[in-house]
Amino acid sequence: MTQKRPIQKILVANRGEIAVRVMRTCREMGIRTVAVYSDADRGSLHVRHADEAVHVGPSPSRESYLAAERILEAARRTGADAIHPGYGFLSERADFARAVEAAGLVFIGPRPESMDAMGVKTTARANMAAAGVPTVPGSPAPIADPEEARALAERIGYPVMIKAAAGGGGKGMRRCERAEDLPALWQSARREAAGAFGDDRLYLEKFLEKPRHVEIQIFADEHGECIHLGERECSVQRRQQKVIEESPSAIVDEPMRRAMGEVAVRAARAVGYRGAGTVEFLVDAGRSFYFLEMNTRLQVEHPVTEMVTGLDLVRMQIQVARGERVLRQDEVVRRGHAIEARIYAEDPARKFLPSPGKITYLRVPGGPGIRDDSGVYAGWVVSPHYDPMISKLVAWAETREAAIARLIRALGDYTVHGIAANVSYLTAALDHPAFRSGDYDTGFCTRHERDLLKPPDRDLEEIALVAAAVSAFKHDHDEAEAFAARAGESGAARSQWARLGRLRAVRGGGR
Amino acid sequence: MTTYVALLDGGKREEPVEVRGAGPGLYEVRLRGRVHRVDAWRHDHGSISLIVDAASHSAMLDERGTKVNVRLHHAVIPLEILDERRLRMRRAAVRFTAEGRQLVSSPLPGKVLRVLVKVGDEVRAGQALVVVLAMNMENEMRSPKDGKAVEVLAREGEAVAGGAKLCAVE
Repeated sequence: MTQKRPIQKILVANRGEIAVRVMRTCREMGIRTVAVYSDADRGSLHVRHADEAVHVGPSPSRESYLAAERILEAARRTGADAIHPGYGFLSERADFARAVEAAGLVFIGPRPESMDAMGVKTTARANMAAAGVPTVPGSPAPIADPEEARALAERIGYPVMIKAAAGGGGKGMRRCERAEDLPALWQSARREAAGAFGDDRLYLEKFLEKPRHVEIQIFADEHGECIHLGERECSVQRRQQKVIEESPSAIVDEPMRRAMGEVAVRAARAVGYRGAGTVEFLVDAGRSFYFLEMNTRLQVEHPVTEMVTGLDLVRMQIQVARGERVLRQDEVVRRGHAIEARIYAEDPARKFLPSPGKITYLRVPGGPGIRDDSGVYAGWVVSPHYDPMISKLVAWAETREAAIARLIRALGDYTVHGIAANVSYLTAALDHPAFRSGDYDTGFCTRHERDLLKPPDRDLEEIALVAAAVSAFKHDHDEAEAFAARAGESGAARSQWARLGRLRAVRGGGR
Repeated sequence: MTTYVALLDGGKREEPVEVRGAGPGLYEVRLRGRVHRVDAWRHDHGSISLIVDAASHSAMLDERGTKVNVRLHHAVIPLEILDERRLRMRRAAVRFTAEGRQLVSSPLPGKVLRVLVKVGDEVRAGQALVVVLAMNMENEMRSPKDGKAVEVLAREGEAVAGGAKLCAVE
């Protein structure tokens, strides 16, 4: 093994689920970890998983998880030799990667130049077009104002997508159907982009009809090798946020996978890529694919690829950062089918309003082929300051059909109390005929919203009423009994219920 | 015997439910004109195993006061269960709040992004009045009824606490 850079202690510049995910691999590799946390996150799960933890500022992420200087200071203080940025926050900031390297530390991610080339989405599109990668029609550079956007939208034709130049993760993205909606959508996208990325530049792209979102996971080392690990389909999206991801995609066969893989590798090579990256494509009804953007970091949905390849992508990232080689393309073996469902603290019945609050009870599923990547625990208070995703539930099985059944089974066992979660919405999506058939696109959630939010049937409601009424009755009865006992009616006159209960317990029927 | 009234669909529907104890863990429940024999076994944290007539069900109850979210076979059924006394109090309270001015408050702590109404504006039920940024999402706070905005407390750019009053509609 050629190790040019020993990595013995990694600072994870992130929080919640992904910080825990990274730390798990570090522990397995015998690498020490440093957590950073904000005021709101003192009790967060990632702090508990780390060997060391450093407070970096107040709850708003701008003053903590996005405060590059404070993160670097934490790394210096703890003697970390590398920084893993996770996803979101500073993960796609080339200036941060530069600062990390300038401080003599290893940035676990691509070279800053590659991030520059892909980070601003309009530059990325131009670079890709130059490398012969097909792109969606749109603006070649960020657009200064809504008027200019309107003019371009007229030329390429509605509907159009408004996107954040620094974007990713669906933040700062709006679909616009008509010219008169553009100014308002533009302003709202701009605010969201500024909040999420600290960069409010926007651009336009033509909106493809019924497109599917299929992305290719690539991995490159610094010795010139670049491979792909196949696709993930992420067409189940709500408000541009991915909800369910799967691999393989129902429309990708081996020749198409090879073709997309080659284009993705070409895209990565064009920007001198290193480490884990994802090349996102839109696929139209004729199965033609267009470059959408490249995410120069680990993706939220990376476990889907891990399940079908048996690889640990975080381990591979660390190995590449140490200067080791990646696998050869022919060493990548894909097997079976994996699906991920993102569990959000939100209430589908109340227009998906985020639902922060204390988790009073949490029971997560297990059993064959199930993986729960979570950032929370029972007793944790989901903070209103950060993303509402609390966990990613992933199922693997031999076939797509079996994986769907398995994930539905696992969601049935996922119980979280105290906050609202989208668990039954996820189940409805997986169980929907359009999803089951594999014939779905990015319009799935909107088109089938009524089905996905359908109230439960009358029979089920009846059982629910019985459960609630019996529970209330028991509760009221116990209360009355406790009151009577306290009132000292007579120590001996214990409730007949309790006596019967003891009797039954003695007879082996404990209740 | 106790008679409860379950409120469904956020109070739009009412269902009376009669419960009678029939021995430890055993109940007779009258609902929609039928009487069910119910055997209930309570596990930890609101999980209840029910045998209703002969069918076995596992229900999870997330109870917050009189409000209960019942999780059953992949569905979540939110309801509120009240006895007669609580129902009378509730009815009086509902009459009181349904009329006159209604407050619109932010259910989440966050930041006011936009205020879409000013005092005196006519508003319709469901119309977005204020947009609050919370948990990285833009959330529209809507009018509970047709009427007129009589008070606007929210200011753009201001941080608000959970439960903070944003405006009032009358």
